[in-house]
Amino acid sequence: MSTWTFARALFATNLRAALALRGAFAIQALFMLINNLTFFIVWWVLLRRVPDLRGWRLDDIEVLFGITATSFGLVVAVAGGVRHLGRAIEEGELDTLLTQPKPTLLYALGMRSNASGVGDMVSGVLFLVMSGHLTLTSAPLLVVLILASAATFLGCGIVFHSLPFWLSRTETVSRQLWELTITFAIYPEPLFGGALRLLLFTAIPAGFVAYLPARMLRDPSPVTLAASVGAALAYVAIAVWVFDRGVRRYTSGSRFVAFG
Amino acid sequence: MSTAPAIRLQELTRTFRVAPTTVVRAVDRLTLSVVPGERVAFIGPNGAGKSTTLKVLSGILHPDSGEATVLGYVPWRDRRRLAFEIGTVFGQRSQLWYHLPPRATFALLAHVYEVDPSVHRRRLASLVEAFDLGACLDTPVRQLSLGQRMRAEIVASLLHAPRVLFLDEPTIGLDVSAKATIRGLLRAQSQDGHATLLLTSHDTGDIEHVCERVVILHQGRVLWDGSIDGLRRRFMKTKRLTLWSEAERLTLDLPGARVLAARPHVTEIALDPRKTAVGALVDAACRQGLLHDLTIEDTPLDEVIRDIYGEAAGHGS
Amino acid sequence: MTPRVGKYVAFGRVGASQALGNRAELGGRMAFVAIILGVFSSLWQAVAEHGLPIAADRAALVWYLAATEWIVLTVPAAHVDIEREIRTGDVTCHLTRPFSYPLALASQGIGMILVRAPFVGVAAFVCGVVFTGTAPSITLLARFVPFAFMAMLLVYGLHVVIGLLAFWLTDVTPVFWIAQKLLFVLGGLMLPLTLYPDWMQRLAHFTPFPAMLGGPAGLLVPATAPDTVRLARDLAVWIVVMAMAARALFERAVRTLQVSGG
Repeated sequence: MSTWTFARALFATNLRAALALRGAFAIQALFMLINNLTFFIVWWVLLRRVPDLRGWRLDDIEVLFGITATSFGLVVAVAGGVRHLGRAIEEGELDTLLTQPKPTLLYALGMRSNASGVGDMVSGVLFLVMSGHLTLTSAPLLVVLILASAATFLGCGIVFHSLPFWLSRTETVSRQLWELTITFAIYPEPLFGGALRLLLFTAIPAGFVAYLPARMLRDPSPVTLAASVGAALAYVAIAVWVFDRGVRRYTSGSRFVAFG
Repeated sequence: MSTAPAIRLQELTRTFRVAPTTVVRAVDRLTLSVVPGERVAFIGPNGAGKSTTLKVLSGILHPDSGEATVLGYVPWRDRRRLAFEIGTVFGQRSQLWYHLPPRATFALLAHVYEVDPSVHRRRLASLVEAFDLGACLDTPVRQLSLGQRMRAEIVASLLHAPRVLFLDEPTIGLDVSAKATIRGLLRAQSQDGHATLLLTSHDTGDIEHVCERVVILHQGRVLWDGSIDGLRRRFMKTKRLTLWSEAERLTLDLPGARVLAARPHVTEIALDPRKTAVGALVDAACRQGLLHDLTIEDTPLDEVIRDIYGEAAGHGS
Repeated sequence: MTPRVGKYVAFGRVGASQALGNRAELGGRMAFVAIILGVFSSLWQAVAEHGLPIAADRAALVWYLAATEWIVLTVPAAHVDIEREIRTGDVTCHLTRPFSYPLALASQGIGMILVRAPFVGVAAFVCGVVFTGTAPSITLLARFVPFAFMAMLLVYGLHVVIGLLAFWLTDVTPVFWIAQKLLFVLGGLMLPLTLYPDWMQRLAHFTPFPAMLGGPAGLLVPATAPDTVRLARDLAVWIVVMAMAARALFERAVRTLQVSGG
């Protein structure tokens, strides 16, 4: 139970820190919202001139954007430390956390927050509203789907940003893998086939982050729902395991170059 | 009070591979013991093994071989349980949240260390008073001076009343008065709270004003381990005397006496007391006229330590 | 070469070696080009199933994207470095030295672009061939490349202007996001501007963005080919405007620093 109270206290402190610079918070949130809406215009332009993309119409793209933006925003706002994990490992910032008696991963994730995440979430909700799929009846399902999507995002993010435990100077690669997941998550599923599809449901899980939840709204099925939730649990479990192994390597000192 | 050692190191060894074919021994069969409540300084040049030892003792690094216990725990095995009993201050790293006032970090740490709220309130009040943080408690850390920040860092590390405190370069970058303040506070806290202090530093002032015992590390091994007085006495070769005399010049041609500087009426001398006693030198000066003033100082600690390194280097590693 | 010019050539070399040293970044951009061309090759194929809404074939549209992505991905994110220099105060060191900071930035940028362009360009070209099975004619490419370089300079100028805003704003990243999205949308990164509603096209032509992307890239797509004289004029005008804006911002900033002490 003390871990839970700690998590709450950590989240509250994180939120306070993000809000400490009120003006910057508002601008980051607002501009990210505008950023996402602007990007969507490209799809609007295209789908005015084309009846559909292998069955996907504008409202389907809106659902895709809605889910991806909301779940990504959730991760950035609540567990924003995931993006900083690589740097924390490379620069020894984990030391301070390791000497304190609380779970290191939780601590590291909850130490940072970015206001842009709030902007992402608001834009995501707006897209879902525009798509017409956000109703009183669909809301609970959407919450579950978004939480599952966010958990998968977080899980793969932890794995990508834990690479520095084993390889040096991989901070750029970690970031690129993370951004790649997002890139694929905002294009319609029917565009991808074969080996690429396999990749998108494993190493770069845009499939679980975006396509399955979107599919669930167009064509509800308990199997799809179970797969989304199951994948989320699996990715988080893998992430925790990878991070734990990474910490063991870190404390064994085999990755150290500097000493003193 | 228990006489079991608070910290015990036995043949501790830790190497690092710095290049494909180069392995460096950061800590080499280190053996020592620290009694509860003791204040020990670890000094040495960069690469001597100070930070590595601290990392092993705080549980964030495994040794290659040898043993270590802190408060009965094996640090790298019982890291979580040990964490409740130790405090750490890494001079170059901060555990204070940058955009928030120190009070917010303190509140979070109360949860981290599972400190009872009323105990936390009481302890915070007493620490804030002792460290004079009342004015900065609610100011964002980014607006605090380095001295204020360091005091807040130390308070953060003491909130849970740790039995052992590890400090890595705690006064680095601080001005003279800030250093003096922090040294006094650390000493007092350790004495009042019976906390064991293990501090690494490049600054001999930290050693002289906070600790009673100094361990000099060189290439991962102990070069000297003892009290500061003992250090001086063992390695002391010269006393520094400054004489203000009636006579314009003093002739002090005695064995072991070397004139460092001579101005009209003021003479500075380095004296090896083994060759000529201090009293004998003063007598000789008095016989040449009235002495207005006299100061006698020990060799600065810096020089003593430099001599020790010089000896060690001369003997090879 | 006079010492004055040599100074800036040296800055150019610094930029070039920075770009060469950052291999992970370069590799990442090359990989991204491959991925995005693959995605869009598939996308245009899907669109073609209903008939393309533009008088061009799928291959030309993929080459269009290869062109715009080459421009966008070659230009370094200068605003990040400039913001950091301003934030840490390093920029004040530059002020005491006998060179023009804006000119140095321009030289560095050119150096970086000259190194990155071949790498990203080869990746884009190879992927273009792989995904379409064709390649634009040498004449088209020869006409395209100089315009592309001018466009890269213009985009770089935009990044510099955004970076310089760090003298006044606490965080320029949000400004960059918006500028980048406007570039993508109004510059026609993925879709040639002729697909846009008329009012949007008219709006776009008041901004420098079409000259940055859609204009040069359109040279590879006969159906959307702009008037080269007009494009050259637009690029030249906007480059001058951007350079003047950068210079004005910088001088204003220096005056503010001198008066208020930073």
